[in-house]
Amino acid sequence: MSRPEHGTELIDTVFGRRAEPVQDLGDQADTVARTCHAMAARFHQGGKLLVFGNGGASTDAQHVAVEFVHPVIVGKRALPALSLTSDIATVTGVANRAGLPEVFAHQIRHLSHPTDIALGISSDGSCENVLRGLRCAAERGLLTVALTGGDGGQIARDASVEHVLVARSDDPRVVKEVHVTAYHILWELVHVFFEHPGVLQREMKS
Amino acid sequence: MTRDRATEDTDAMESLYPFLYSKETDLASVLEQVRQSTVDKAREITSLRATVLERDRSKLTECAHAMAASFAAGGRLLAFGNGGSSTDAQDMASLFLSPAGNEHPLPAIGLTNDIAVVTALGNDIGFEIVFARQIAAWGRQGDIAVGLSTSGNSANLLWAFDKARERGMVTIGIAGYDGGKMAELDSIDHLFVVPSPSVHRIQEAQTTVYHALWELAQAALTTR
Repeated sequence: MSRPEHGTELIDTVFGRRAEPVQDLGDQADTVARTCHAMAARFHQGGKLLVFGNGGASTDAQHVAVEFVHPVIVGKRALPALSLTSDIATVTGVANRAGLPEVFAHQIRHLSHPTDIALGISSDGSCENVLRGLRCAAERGLLTVALTGGDGGQIARDASVEHVLVARSDDPRVVKEVHVTAYHILWELVHVFFEHPGVLQREMKS
Repeated sequence: MTRDRATEDTDAMESLYPFLYSKETDLASVLEQVRQSTVDKAREITSLRATVLERDRSKLTECAHAMAASFAAGGRLLAFGNGGSSTDAQDMASLFLSPAGNEHPLPAIGLTNDIAVVTALGNDIGFEIVFARQIAAWGRQGDIAVGLSTSGNSANLLWAFDKARERGMVTIGIAGYDGGKMAELDSIDHLFVVPSPSVHRIQEAQTTVYHALWELAQAALTTR
């Protein structure tokens, strides 16, 4: 945790640390747009969204699921989305039998269809179980999307991941906040493509 | 829906609504619209965070010191909210209980974590008491109650704050818009209202509020 500079209150330092990584997300707007398009195309084909992450990101996975299933904006379609962190019996069961690295891959193997979308969230981009989940998803033909942080980590560089948004901060709290903005935007703007179904016939890679 | 079925539907839609398929709706223009919207939303949240800091700078520091004092005296944090805010409550509780790095782990519980408890209370009594009843079971004088709501109107939060006040807890409310009914309560010691018309931007700035409270409380505990 960084200490306040002389004459600056800690709270100013804390808030100030957010601005640049958010601006950087704005700079990734092209990737956001292409990711929304690819996700909308999958939903249009009948696909569902599977979301997963560890620690704080496990709560983001649940937040993403409720965002899609129960839209806050009246009139938007409910879309099928599932957090792979919510079934604690399965998470702890798989972790106990096969180890924590398998908890998401196992669920993807048994719950997914090739038209689905896998969204892995990792604040430093190095969570082994998130990477395994994304690799398993890619092998099965799912669209793979990752939200990572820091320098993007191993997940951002992995060939199995088609669309990556990186929150460029080493502070996991800041990374989380950028991720919340990112998935709020992904949710809202996926719906823009539904207003133009003519453009959902093909996906583009970013 | 299969791809063929989707294509048929699209063809049918096109004959019904040809204006949707004019050249202005081609892929490049939709992508550009979405790209610009992303840039706008990123600017919006940064400006909202600046507003929150400006309005609540001293209140945030005071609140963090009250939290540090509670923890130092053996207090625990209970966090609660509905929907997206339930995930913030769980995230906040977990941040205090199991922070990465060298920060102090502190006792904290998310009141939405146990689905058996939540559904039992909701089914047997009513959804408005799912948090109040848990506070009745857990809350002690000097513990901390944190409720998050974007509208500020969630009935189960209003009940929870009343119960927390009755127990002598330190009460913290994190709301949005104009604060809703939470702004009318006298049972909330520290109220933070994120003023935005967007539920999404409100949640994003609320996340910053509890992250800042955590960081400031950690710093206050270190220097105590």
